[in-house]
Amino acid sequence: MNDDEFRYRRVLRAPRELVWRCLTEPAELAHFWGPAGMTTPLDGIVLELHEGGRFETRMLGEHGDHRMVATFTEVVPPERLAWVEPATGMHTTSTLDDLGDGTTAVVIRQRHVPEAMRRPEARAGFLTSLDKLEEYLAHLTPGDRS
Amino acid sequence: MGPTLEDQQLDAVFTALGDRTRRDIVARLSRGEATVSELAEPYAMSMQAVSQHIRVLERSGLISQGRHRQTRPCRLEPAALEAALSWIAESRRTWSDRMDRLEARLAQLQEGETP
Repeated sequence: MNDDEFRYRRVLRAPRELVWRCLTEPAELAHFWGPAGMTTPLDGIVLELHEGGRFETRMLGEHGDHRMVATFTEVVPPERLAWVEPATGMHTTSTLDDLGDGTTAVVIRQRHVPEAMRRPEARAGFLTSLDKLEEYLAHLTPGDRS
Repeated sequence: MGPTLEDQQLDAVFTALGDRTRRDIVARLSRGEATVSELAEPYAMSMQAVSQHIRVLERSGLISQGRHRQTRPCRLEPAALEAALSWIAESRRTWSDRMDRLEARLAQLQEGETP
């Protein structure tokens, strides 16, 4: 399935349950959520771990702060976590795959959801089918600079 | 906090590219200008349907249509594609940094558990 606009995979040397805990416990998120150069204080994190629950982080940096406001669309411990940010329509899915040797593959997928599709009831069955967009765009762009 | 103009443009670009025919049109225009009838040729669909796809692409900023010549050829606008590419690059950086820190945290947690 290639309906995502962005895909990132990383293998972590830790059991899946531990990775899941880090991704879903505010006290752990505060350690690594970032982004680089920013901190995510514990008291700015709201995390209601169920479908429809709130997921909010406040990231503080030298040049002001950034607030992420999202709603969980999928919570399947310890393998799948997804949320949508209504303001931008960004839909993020994290999939945790137990590789059986004490490591866990984390796959992050992101896509923009059109405005009309952002309400939970409208999202069901929504597919954009963006076939390998990233490779496609990378392939296209050089040819455009004539 | 509402969507920024940049967010709205990205929405439009990704929505436009979320359709196979429109991706195909973009790919063909990457090889040079073409008129609507040239673009419509390979498809088993009406000119009207192709024009509709072209309007979506034009609204997203991915392509533009000539105003002066009779044939009004379509051409690709690289800036919109570049905006989409830089969004992808930025997401990659954010997640890669985040996973670096998560990896360090996981190592710390596991050291603590196995003395």
